[in-house]
Amino acid sequence: MTKRRKSEASKGDLIFLAAILVLAAYGVICVWSASYYNAELQYGDSMYFFRKQLIGFLLGTAGMIGISFLPYEKLRRIRIPSLILSLILLALVFVPGLGKSNYGATRWIGFGSFTIQPSEIAKLGFVIFTAGYFAKDPARMRTLKGCIPVLGAGLAICVLIMLEPNMSVTMCVGAIMIGMLFLAGISKKAIAVICIPVLFAVPVLILAEPYRLQRLSAFMDPWASPKDEGYQLIQSLYGLSNGGFFGVGLFNSRQKYRFLPFAESDFILSVIAEETGFFGVTALFLLIGFIVWRGFRIAARSGNIYGFLLAGGITLAFAVQSVLNALVVSGCIPPTGLPLPLVSAGNTSLIVTMTGMGIVYGVSRHTQP
Amino acid sequence: MAITFLFCLFLARFFYIQVIWQDDLNARALDQWTREIPISAGRGNIYDTNGELLAGNTAAYSIFARANAVTDAEGGSLLLSEALGLSYDDILGKLTDKSHSEIVVAKRVDKSVVQRIEGAEIAGVYYARDDVRFYPYRQLACQVLGFTSYDGSGSTGLEQYYNNFLAGERGEILFETDLVGVDLDGAAAAYIPATDGMSLTLTLDYRIQSVSEQVMEAALKEYNAKAARAIVLDVTDFSVLSMVNLPSYDLNDIPRDDLSALNRLSRNALVSDVYEPGSTFKIVTAAADIEEYLQGNAAAYAPNRIFSSARTRTVDGTTIRCWSDHANGKHSNQTLAEALNNSCNPCFVDIALSLGKETFYDYLAAFQFGRATGLDFSGEAIGMLLPESTLRDCDFARIGFGQTIAVTPLQLACASAAAVNGGRYYAPRLVKEIVDSDGAVIEQTSPVLLSQPIGEEASEMLTSMLEGVVRDGSGKKAYIEGYRVAGKTGTAQKYEDGRIAQGKYVSSFVGCFPASDPRYLALVIVDEPQGAYYGSTVAAPCAKQIFEGIIDIFDLPPVEE
Repeated sequence: MTKRRKSEASKGDLIFLAAILVLAAYGVICVWSASYYNAELQYGDSMYFFRKQLIGFLLGTAGMIGISFLPYEKLRRIRIPSLILSLILLALVFVPGLGKSNYGATRWIGFGSFTIQPSEIAKLGFVIFTAGYFAKDPARMRTLKGCIPVLGAGLAICVLIMLEPNMSVTMCVGAIMIGMLFLAGISKKAIAVICIPVLFAVPVLILAEPYRLQRLSAFMDPWASPKDEGYQLIQSLYGLSNGGFFGVGLFNSRQKYRFLPFAESDFILSVIAEETGFFGVTALFLLIGFIVWRGFRIAARSGNIYGFLLAGGITLAFAVQSVLNALVVSGCIPPTGLPLPLVSAGNTSLIVTMTGMGIVYGVSRHTQP
Repeated sequence: MAITFLFCLFLARFFYIQVIWQDDLNARALDQWTREIPISAGRGNIYDTNGELLAGNTAAYSIFARANAVTDAEGGSLLLSEALGLSYDDILGKLTDKSHSEIVVAKRVDKSVVQRIEGAEIAGVYYARDDVRFYPYRQLACQVLGFTSYDGSGSTGLEQYYNNFLAGERGEILFETDLVGVDLDGAAAAYIPATDGMSLTLTLDYRIQSVSEQVMEAALKEYNAKAARAIVLDVTDFSVLSMVNLPSYDLNDIPRDDLSALNRLSRNALVSDVYEPGSTFKIVTAAADIEEYLQGNAAAYAPNRIFSSARTRTVDGTTIRCWSDHANGKHSNQTLAEALNNSCNPCFVDIALSLGKETFYDYLAAFQFGRATGLDFSGEAIGMLLPESTLRDCDFARIGFGQTIAVTPLQLACASAAAVNGGRYYAPRLVKEIVDSDGAVIEQTSPVLLSQPIGEEASEMLTSMLEGVVRDGSGKKAYIEGYRVAGKTGTAQKYEDGRIAQGKYVSSFVGCFPASDPRYLALVIVDEPQGAYYGSTVAAPCAKQIFEGIIDIFDLPPVEE
């Protein structure tokens, strides 16, 4: 922790950087494939989502490279502003005129045709805050009392996201929070104290909204309601099965012809599985797994608690989202709206995730080899 | 560690869905990816025993439109409306109706019209075969052949009974579409060909059928009868050669508007309706008696034994009379052969009572009364046979001469055939061969022996007695010089509401030839003839004409000088 650090940046983990770029670029192609039919019908422009994703990719790449030049230690200073910004953006969703609703939930704020999803930013904001908070006084990690500000910040973000409502992102933030506390090394007792109320909260939250119960039962037996609640899951499974071992070939998905809802965003993994088959999915998972492994390795090698928590937290967020998305697409957990990071269409998610990955890369750059 | 484990778990889940669960899911998914236009299968033909076409198809087409694929609705509608003679606006409506994935523009369109439209290649308009059933001989054997419903499946007769064989399997043209049925660009339509139905070859001979129909038609008119029916069997294997039910109807112009008339006209009463057979049933009684006599049963009447000449018999306090007054020496001192010649009722009462219920009912069972003959035809009636256990003697006595029993004409014809062919009762049949659309024989029916009610000797004796009936007795009008016709007449009074209906008779005759080695058997029934009513006058001449027709068709030489 008191290790000597070089003041100027090294090349860092270029392989990690390359893996991120490959995954995001692959995502752009997949978005194109998954969306062109719908884009043509909806917008009269088959490249609509492709173009948007490409812009996001370019901006994300710029953000990723740009932030990696910044010594990551500087982010410690903006831990409070980043939390406040996150909370403000989340709150803005509820301001009439600014908030944009879709599918019965208000999850976006928009200025004209430009929309952003604050919950995506909040995830990164929360990681920056937590890492900075614990790094300031590592002793905080050992007491439950010391963890309270982190818990409070996490809870505040969760409540705001829950009100949108967006259950899956709430769960995702909760998982990141617990994961970060775990990374920080708090006691097992403290983890138990935190986890038990969360476990109790889940059934209550499910019962609070009837649609969640319906989705849950549809998940148990999707063919009981193939036209309603079960539809999405069934369509996702059809996509997977149609892919088989080797897939039907890039751009040849059958399910994207309006059968599979959110084919270019939350369910893009289903289209990928259909087009590239089980082997394609395996390769994709290997790439994602590789990124996660490299991310944690960067964290472990950062040589200081702040770099460890920052890189670890961001990698964790990426891993948690990837896992949850794959669980949804393969019908292991009830369908919820959660993108596959770096791949799904959605610019806020793409830019923020890439920027986050830029921070991780930055940690590797500013680490003594 | 934990990550690797999770990773493997994921892969396992995807592997399960993508590889193991694949077939099941894909089968379900295929259904939503395609829209189909049916291709109807060509229905199998029906041929008579000589290969003459009795039921076939005229090529016709259905025209479909798939609005989502139509590019020039106005032009297409103009062309279609001119070619089909339908309203332009109606067709335009169908060609632009995008709420349906496909819609029928016209059905049963002539081939020539379709060829004209097809040349124009209107995008979004499709053609699928939709044949019209066609019966070259119109009313010939109409109740046997039956007809098909509007959608082409058999509703009555053999068309219904053999529908599974005739129908074939429909095919499909599959179009790949998106969720709402819009055609996908560049996706080829898959064509799943239909499997045409199998063809039937009947035992029926259209020439015999045609002759019997002409004969019965003449009788129907001459006696202004309610109905005239005939059945011709090959007694050697119980092949049905002809089945006539008059009045009939034209299979190409079915009176679908008048359902009750259609039900009446399309009913094969020979199989589905029962009647009181009257004196023709004495064949069965005589057969039982001769067989029992030959078996050494003392209760049986020997062929040379003389029956009582009295006109009446009293059973259970009721009096049974002969139809003849027995005056001036008529019906006196008769043997069995003479009793058959004279159709003397009391003699057959004597036989029945002497043999007893148990023996007699054994013969009824062996002659398949009270059960279906097993003809390959739907709706066969089993007749009405009073149960042996509660049978009163006065009723039993009447069964001896064909009263208080109801049988189908088919049952009587088959029992008579078994009585004269050496005692073998086969299951009667209408279809002798089923051939698939490639010409491969799927099934060939062969005679199935059901029972042997009497032996060869009894059968021969009975046949020669029946020949006597035609030569010397009531069946004279069926006599054909040189061809040794044997037979028995019947005249039954009809019952309505449990009482004898005055002036309503069923005149019948069952006969076969040549008596030396019987081959052809005909049962003729004229229902409610006006003027004459004796079977000997009304029905016997019909059988004679049918037999003459058969002799002509096969150019049969006389069997004796």
